[in-house]
Amino acid sequence: MEIGMRDIVFLCVALLTTIPCLIVVFSRNVLYSAFALFFTFLGTSGLYFFLDAEFLAITQVVVYIGGVSVLLLFAILLTKNVDEIRKTNMISGPRMALAGAAALALLGSFLYALKGARWAMNGNAAYPATTIKGLGDLLLSKYLLPFEIVSILLLAVLVGSLVISRRSVQ
Amino acid sequence: MIPLSWYVLLSAALFTIGVVGVLTRRNVFIILMSIELMLNAANINLVAFSHYLQNLTGQIFVIFVITVAAAEAAVALALIILLARNRGTVYVDEFNIMKG
Repeated sequence: MEIGMRDIVFLCVALLTTIPCLIVVFSRNVLYSAFALFFTFLGTSGLYFFLDAEFLAITQVVVYIGGVSVLLLFAILLTKNVDEIRKTNMISGPRMALAGAAALALLGSFLYALKGARWAMNGNAAYPATTIKGLGDLLLSKYLLPFEIVSILLLAVLVGSLVISRRSVQ
Repeated sequence: MIPLSWYVLLSAALFTIGVVGVLTRRNVFIILMSIELMLNAANINLVAFSHYLQNLTGQIFVIFVITVAAAEAAVALALIILLARNRGTVYVDEFNIMKG
């Protein structure tokens, strides 16, 4: 199997996704974790481009990087004065060993399932050049009800998070 | 063409890293970030299968997952800020008043 340009770029994007992911989990500084999360989301967006899902790639950048990560950063900065930050960011040895064993078992079962899998490929069917049109059609016809329910969920979240986090007025 | 199994492997690795984060870290922010990582890994899987099966339903599902993840992050961060304000810590082992 020859290694083409596409494979190299894919590997770079995969590393851009995986390495910050490790930093998120193992960094002792919460701010470093939050910034590493930016790069993980950016790498995921690149993977979506590889999979011809342009709309999702843009959505990923807008919602995750522009929304969730920035919100997370603000929340971290708002709770900066908490005490005992050293203790909070510590990783205890026995817990690490147990979690590592559990994660290894999980990864092993994933790999085992992957090894035996035979997927029905449909590689030659006509795939629309732009997926946005197909997505719009599906969202407004077959999946109209879930779409509306999600918009109600967003409204509830908007009101609910404001109610939860406001300071109680005396 | 990149084989489907590469995407599935990458997604499995990201999911496992997220699980390790949830299990080991005691900072509530890191736990939230790890949950986001796991959702992200599931999304990669869905989009990869959607591409290789030439079926857009997977991408529709990813849109809903992204929406719910954003909603979850908003509510969770509001709760965390409230908790940090009232208890003065973000260390999850100290949030034990419901233990009885």
